[in-house]
Amino acid sequence: MIELKTIEKTYGSGDTATPVLKGISFRIQAGEYVALMGASGTGKSTLMNIVGCLDKPTGGQYQLDGADAGTLDDNALSHLRNQKIGFVFQQFHLLERTTALKNVMLPLIYSEPYPEDAEQRAEKALTAVGLNDRMYYRPGELSGGQQQRVAIARALITNPQIILADEPTGNLDSKSGLEILAIFKRLHRDGHTIIIVTHNEEVAEHADRVIVLKDGKIEQDRRVAQPRDAEKEVDERIGREDAE
Amino acid sequence: MRLLRIITEGVRSLRINKLRTFFMMAGTIVGIAALTVIMAIGKGTEKKVMKRLQNFGPRAIMLIAGGGKDLPPPDITVTTLTLADAEAIRNQIDGLEIVTPMAWDFNVNVTRGANLHQATVWGVEPTWHEAWNWHVADGEGISDQDVATMAKVCVIGETVRRELFGESDPIGERLYINKVALTVKGVLESRGASPMGMDFDSRVIIPITTAMRRVMNVNHIGAIRLISKDVSLIPRQAEAVRSLIHQRHHITPPEEDDFRLITPMVIAQLVKGIASTLSFLLIALAALSLFVGGVVMMNILLISVAERTKEIGLRRAVGATRGDVFAQFLTESLAVTIFGTILGSLLGLGVSVLLPKIIQMPTIITWEPFALAVAFALLVGTFFGVQPARRAARLHPVEALQ
Repeated sequence: MIELKTIEKTYGSGDTATPVLKGISFRIQAGEYVALMGASGTGKSTLMNIVGCLDKPTGGQYQLDGADAGTLDDNALSHLRNQKIGFVFQQFHLLERTTALKNVMLPLIYSEPYPEDAEQRAEKALTAVGLNDRMYYRPGELSGGQQQRVAIARALITNPQIILADEPTGNLDSKSGLEILAIFKRLHRDGHTIIIVTHNEEVAEHADRVIVLKDGKIEQDRRVAQPRDAEKEVDERIGREDAE
Repeated sequence: MRLLRIITEGVRSLRINKLRTFFMMAGTIVGIAALTVIMAIGKGTEKKVMKRLQNFGPRAIMLIAGGGKDLPPPDITVTTLTLADAEAIRNQIDGLEIVTPMAWDFNVNVTRGANLHQATVWGVEPTWHEAWNWHVADGEGISDQDVATMAKVCVIGETVRRELFGESDPIGERLYINKVALTVKGVLESRGASPMGMDFDSRVIIPITTAMRRVMNVNHIGAIRLISKDVSLIPRQAEAVRSLIHQRHHITPPEEDDFRLITPMVIAQLVKGIASTLSFLLIALAALSLFVGGVVMMNILLISVAERTKEIGLRRAVGATRGDVFAQFLTESLAVTIFGTILGSLLGLGVSVLLPKIIQMPTIITWEPFALAVAFALLVGTFFGVQPARRAARLHPVEALQ
């Protein structure tokens, strides 16, 4: 489904040329749960932007669902992002002074055809992330964890195959972070392809597979024998709190 | 429809940020309001000029005793204008259809029995009727015979008839002016009130000889009315009359004239005077506020693009194309100017309605200023909106999201 062949990305040109990605190749099958790891400056954000069709590689080939993303123009890439990729950012990136419901509906504005049941779909997506009682709240009235859940609902609204999350728990406390990871775990179980970009080992432990970048190259690509189950951990935590 | 959804997004962001939207709109509001008022004043003045010229007579020249630069009321203490002047004009100036001298007195008591009415008394020649295109509605006008014989007759205006005679027929009846008994031989057509509120119908017309010898006891006249054969001759004729009277009254410029020459051009200029000053100021205001308003709007939009970089990045990430972003920001500038135009037109409409009541500035409201306003709005909105919209559209999603 996702196939990268010797992807390169160089910023600038000539003497000031800075290679960030130096030949990255991997495949991700539909339904995988992958953590993309690396210290800052290793090029993992650049790689995420390329996988998310926000940026184009300067070398190599990127196939997304059979389409050669490198040959598509800006409009076609926009359409691809809209239909196939749901983004979740560290900074949430919700529209201020706009209700959760409207925030979730945002990608549909750019969808063709516009679904008749846009609002019901947004309500469903918000219910799926446990915010059915916060639909008309604005970002300022929600906690960080709740804001990130609105962002996940937004990522789900066009029913994309891939969820691409960039440090989704980076701005959250451990409890809220675990709740977000529980949602990803459930989405994965429901068949979504999840790619989480993180520098946090603990977060990576929840994925089935970990790809580690170093200096623009893949240092390690391994399966996780026993991924942590965030859903179970949340339940246990709730159980503990109830007991106390 | 996708475009409609994107337009909705643009309008929504204006609604969210009302104060910012108002500042973007202010210039357009003032500019369009000024534009609307200019047009209303222009139309109103044009109509007023036409009406005044119609009253004055499009081919008429008035030579009035007494200097100064304003329009009548005339100075009745000036005694230098005479019938001989009228005769000289008649003999020496070409291209005149009518030359008719007039003696006049104002606020004269006209009585009949116990009834008294104050009216303007005009001593005229028979050509007066033709020169003012003002004939009798009933009875007869002043004749050559009346002038030659210093006849004790008069023609009265509608107001005088009503005040002195009520319902009874005035023809053949007598009235008194300065103890002189005059027989009513006709009633003038009613002309109503002047724009300044003067009652045209409050007058008595008598033969000029009767006026000068019997009623007023003077050797001078108040004015001479000339009717030219053609409008195009008027400027030259007016100058010829001026130098003739200079010569006859021994006036050497820059010595001050003891008369005034009023032509349709003078009337038009006088009526237009204030209006054109005001219009000029308003045109400057309209141009300035539309331009400054446009620049302000553009700058606020540019700031807004910078402030909303992350929003733009997010929209790009979830599927907005460059064109979508461009359309959204252009919508914002166009919506601002269109809405500003609506408010500005309403403001201008209000001012246009109030102006005649406050400073007697005539205005006429027509559809043209509104069509013009919409055209201006689209122009300003597009001209000043394209640059910010383009900047927003060109943002790279990756950089915008950082």
